[in-house]
Amino acid sequence: MSKILVIEDEKNLRTLYKQDLERDGFDVVTAATAQEGLEMLESEAPDLVVMDIRLPGMDGLEAMSRVLDRHPRLPVVLNSAYSSYKDSFMSWSADAYVVKSADTGDLRARVKELVTARSGT
Amino acid sequence: MTSRRRTILGDTLAIVMAGGQGERLYPLTRDRGKPAVPFGGAYRVIDFTLSNCLNSGLRKIYVLTQYKSGSLERHVGIGWAQLFNHELDEWIQCVPPQLRIGQRWYQGTADAVYQNVYLLEQDRPTYVVILSGDHVYKMDYAKLIAAHEERGAIATVAAVEVPVGDASSFGVIAVDAASRITAFEEKPEHPTPVPGRPDTALVNMGVYVFDTETLVRALAADARQDTRHDFGHNILPGLVGTGEVFAFPFVDENKKSAPYWRDIGTLDSYYEASMDLVAVEPVFNLYDAEWPIRTMARHLPPAKTVFAQEEPGGRLGIVLDSLVSGGVIVSGGRVERSILGPEVRINSYAKVADSVLMDGVDVGRHARLTRAIVDKGVHVPAHFVVGEDPEQDKKRFQVTPGGVVVIPREALLD
Repeated sequence: MSKILVIEDEKNLRTLYKQDLERDGFDVVTAATAQEGLEMLESEAPDLVVMDIRLPGMDGLEAMSRVLDRHPRLPVVLNSAYSSYKDSFMSWSADAYVVKSADTGDLRARVKELVTARSGT
Repeated sequence: MTSRRRTILGDTLAIVMAGGQGERLYPLTRDRGKPAVPFGGAYRVIDFTLSNCLNSGLRKIYVLTQYKSGSLERHVGIGWAQLFNHELDEWIQCVPPQLRIGQRWYQGTADAVYQNVYLLEQDRPTYVVILSGDHVYKMDYAKLIAAHEERGAIATVAAVEVPVGDASSFGVIAVDAASRITAFEEKPEHPTPVPGRPDTALVNMGVYVFDTETLVRALAADARQDTRHDFGHNILPGLVGTGEVFAFPFVDENKKSAPYWRDIGTLDSYYEASMDLVAVEPVFNLYDAEWPIRTMARHLPPAKTVFAQEEPGGRLGIVLDSLVSGGVIVSGGRVERSILGPEVRINSYAKVADSVLMDGVDVGRHARLTRAIVDKGVHVPAHFVVGEDPEQDKKRFQVTPGGVVVIPREALLD
């Protein structure tokens, strides 16, 4: 079973993403801060990371740089309430950029697509 | 707030790659990176690229440093920074590795720029020009950028024409009849010639213009892959076929019959490029007021020769076919076909021929130097001889494959 690491500071969203992604058949672990997420990267060895950008402490763009520096091929989905970060060059290293909405359909579709592409190679 | 008209050059950011270790220039790179190696008496190697920027009208410049960057940072900070005005949105700035993305040294030229992508995000230029800090040539980058814009290219690569037989040691660019790049060949055994000109090939000069967004996307994708993270090997070949990538034939501002572009990669190429300056009709001209090469200004007294005892056995201070920097005193010695850096002193009866002497070298009485490169501040004792007996020289110094003796900085000779 593919494992997804979700880095998200809002508790309700963490719960929502966990539920929905588990329903799609993924094993899901969550972190509330970038630091926590970076530690779990090693202990949990996820197959994909979903991360918020605006986080307390280290932001998601910097955290993504660190994730990719250690694991260049690990797919990363940026998941933000703001579409403005999409223009930032720093966000262009992500495999996907999803703007948060009440419906998790878009996020789930991108996760599924990237996990499938990864296991296919 | 100042309001300024948008110009192509004002919308272009220059990035000078100055992080090379310069292993093959050792020991000249023992205490400094390759771009900071003194060249042509008064200059450092990087001055040629920076002068090209200035003469081309590029006024937003980042110099990416890495190894032993102190000497280079001092040179750029003291010698160049005052020419750029922050209020007019101009700058030249050395950028050492920030370890923002990778916690490691740069893995290649593309990685060096990728790790500094935040600089591009800050400035958001339309175009980025990538330059090497260790080449000697004169080029108007404005012509390159104009050609890039006119053709609507995503990337344009400056290329120098060389005889096809000499191209095998370089990165060769294969083009179609419209100069559109079809392939990059790295040190090919059989270089692809220019269409219709079987005796000529195009060599990649390491001078590139990119649309910024194209560049960032290519760098971000490359960073995720296991490559050499190199512009010539990975980024540019990867762009061929995704959009218009053109070769721009080098327009040499040196205005000699053969185009002049030299990569100061080895001690022998350093020596040969130095000797190119001293010829009576130099193949590389430092004296063209229309394309000045500048450096860190130093207030030194004029060079001086003393003793004019022309009778046999007399003391005669004489310099022939040479470049002589400020503050030099040739006191009763003889210098031929050489480059004397600032504040060099040649004492009585000493003989210096076909050599490069960097700042402050002091050559004692009756000493003889032939085909030598002497790094800064070396005191050559009286009667010391170099360059006449290769076996003897090899015991004490590095001797290049071309037979040039290199005496490092702070060498203690006796």
